[in-house]
Order: sequence, then structure tokens, then C-alpha cells
Amino acid sequence: MSKNRFERLNQYRSMWVLVFFDLPTETATERKHAARFRKELLNDGFTMFQFSIYMRFCPSRENAYVHIRRTKNALPKKGKVGIMQITDKQFGMIELFHGQKVQTPETPSQQLELF
Amino acid sequence: MIKRTLFFGNPAYLSTRNEQLVVNFPEEAKEEKTIAIEDIGYLVLENQQITVTNGLLMKLIQNKTAVLTCDQQHMPCGFLQPLVGHTEQTERMRHQLNASLPLKKQLWQQTVTAKIENQANHLLHRKKNALKLKRWAKEVKSGDNENHEAYAAAYYFQNLFDIDGFSRNQKGLAPNNLLNYGYAILRAVTARALCSSGLLPSLGIFHRNKYNAFCLADDIMEPYRPFVDALVYDIVETGCQLQELNTHLKKELLALPAIDVFIDGNQSPLMNAMSRTTNSLYECFEGSNRKVLYPEF
Repeated sequence: MSKNRFERLNQYRSMWVLVFFDLPTETATERKHAARFRKELLNDGFTMFQFSIYMRFCPSRENAYVHIRRTKNALPKKGKVGIMQITDKQFGMIELFHGQKVQTPETPSQQLELF
Repeated sequence: MIKRTLFFGNPAYLSTRNEQLVVNFPEEAKEEKTIAIEDIGYLVLENQQITVTNGLLMKLIQNKTAVLTCDQQHMPCGFLQPLVGHTEQTERMRHQLNASLPLKKQLWQQTVTAKIENQANHLLHRKKNALKLKRWAKEVKSGDNENHEAYAAAYYFQNLFDIDGFSRNQKGLAPNNLLNYGYAILRAVTARALCSSGLLPSLGIFHRNKYNAFCLADDIMEPYRPFVDALVYDIVETGCQLQELNTHLKKELLALPAIDVFIDGNQSPLMNAMSRTTNSLYECFEGSNRKVLYPEF
């Protein structure tokens, strides 16, 4: 047994997938398509980070590809969408503010969560 | 994929929305939390005041999540078993039921050999003498008629912990309580993998106690036990109090499904390795393979 028990689950292997989007909401159809895209993201396990920015934790790069592919399949006809993936290590360096007040980011252990 | 383990030790309301598990807390200050059901491998429900909706249970089962309930002593006591674990389930069960006695005996021989090997390697890892175990591992016969497993286990536990008169006993001294907890988790991991390979976890290759619902799980988990022992050993080494199984200790033990093990030349998380083991077991029942894959400690 190796010294580090969690080689397969370290900060450089686990990824965060971020989806940024700007979708037109002028007409009822456009709003419907935008809502559907958002719903697809939620169904795929994404959570809202900010309005129009959704994110998802993935335990491996392979898994991140799965969710990126699903997002691509759900793309709406119009509007701009950005998909980005970063490592958990990079994500951990995030700085968050509410107004000028510093917020502490939630960084629970991702594999095991205690409630 | 490395699935997540969720542990609920506090009152919570669990429901579902958008293919996600939604956690609400009775305390109003706490915010709602969501987790994708797809990612959940194990759900441990320990507190008596947890409410689960049927919609959530259905989605969890469809995702093959192992839902574990715990008794008043906070020990895992139940495991929600899906009726449909695999598309070929019925055929696979038929192969399992038709397995011949000699095949079962051979599989049990492989299992015991792998277990004793792993126990020996664990002792060596802790700089202890394992010559006897290494020899016994080689001497295991088909069906383990001479019961090397029991001899090896007795020797192993007497020599592993530096505690006078330590023996494995359900109600024995600490760290028996830690071992019991770890094995209960391991059993659930095994039962889940067996179900998803389309096998019946209740029909064992060696264990045949009529009161035991997880005979096959108990057979297959044997070579994996030293990994629990290693976790417990590390906890004992830290010198913290062991009498009471607190959340900190449980956290260490619940990491079990994600620890890396070495199987078939690759490093892989224990829960994934377990699936490889159960799949190779099915191949043995089916007749396309002769060897069950077990991890090496």
C-alpha cells in the first residue's frame, strides 16, 4: 500500500467545469430555450455560482469530458456559451467578495461529505 | 468513476429536484444544499431524525447508490438492495446458482490465499514477522479444508496490534469497534458491487449461515479486510481515544471506498477495484475465466 492513500483523488486530477452563458431572452421562444438549457445544466448536476455561471465538480478529467459533452449536446441555437475546466487546486485559490467583504469559499472534502 | 460518500449524522430532510439530491436542515439558518444523484455512491443515514422522500429513494436505486441505515448504536445495519442491478441479471444469477461445488471450492481457495497474502503483507508493512502467514498462504487447499483462514486470522490479530490479549470479538475491546464499523462499510461496498454485476449477494461460495443475508459479500470482502485493518491501525497509532466512535473517527473510516488499492497491475480506488473483482467473479461462474481478481496489499 502506498504512502498516500488517495493518489487517484488529488487536487490536480479532480476538475471543476464552469459554464458561462449569455442567451437572448427577447421573445417567448428564446426565453423557453434559455430556460431549457439552464434546466439541462441543473439536471446534469451543475449548481449556480452566479447568474449565468454554473459549475460542477468532477472527480477526474474523464468525468469532466462527459459533462462537457452533455453540455455541448444541450447547447441552444442562439446565444453565447463558454465552457471551461480548471483543476481543483486552481479552483481552491478563488477569492470571493460580497460587496467589499471577503467571503470564505466553501471547500469541503469533495469525495466524502458529512452533514 | 470515484463516487461520493455522503454521511448524515444530523437531522435533515432529503428530497430531490432536477436529478439532484436536495438537503434541507431543520435549523433555519442553514442553507439548502444540492448534490447530483449521479455522483453519489454511498449514502449513510445515521440520525434518527432524517426524512427521505420516495422520489429520492427511487432515483438513488436507479443510480445504484448504496443506501445504508444505521441502528441506535450508530452501526450500519441495513443496505437498500435494488431489484434490478444489471440488465442481464437473471442470466447471471442462473450462472451463479449453477456453479458447481468444485468451482466454488476453488474460488474459496483463491479467496483465502489472497486474504492471507494480504494479511502477511500488512504485517510486513508494519515491520512484523509474517513468515507463518506467508507459508500458510501457500498451503491453502481447495475449499480450505484445513481451515487455514481461521488460523491465519487468529495469528494475524494477535500480532498486528500491540495490545495485550487483543482478539477479534463483536463486543471486544477497542479498536474492535472501529474494525466492526469499517467492515460494515466494506460489506456495503461489496454488496453494491455484487448487485451491479448482476449477482445475488445472499448466496455465498463458502459462507452459508441461514441467518446471513450477505453470504457472498462476506466471501468476496475477505481479501479486502486488511485495507480496513490498515486504516484502523493508522488511527490507533495516532493515540487518540478509541472507546467512543465519534464523527472524526467515522470520517477516517468512511474514506474507505476511495482509498487506492493495487489490483491487476493498476492503482485504483477501492470501490472501482471491487467492481473489477465482482466482474471477474461473474466470469468464473460463467466459465470464461478461472481466476478472481483480488487487490494486493
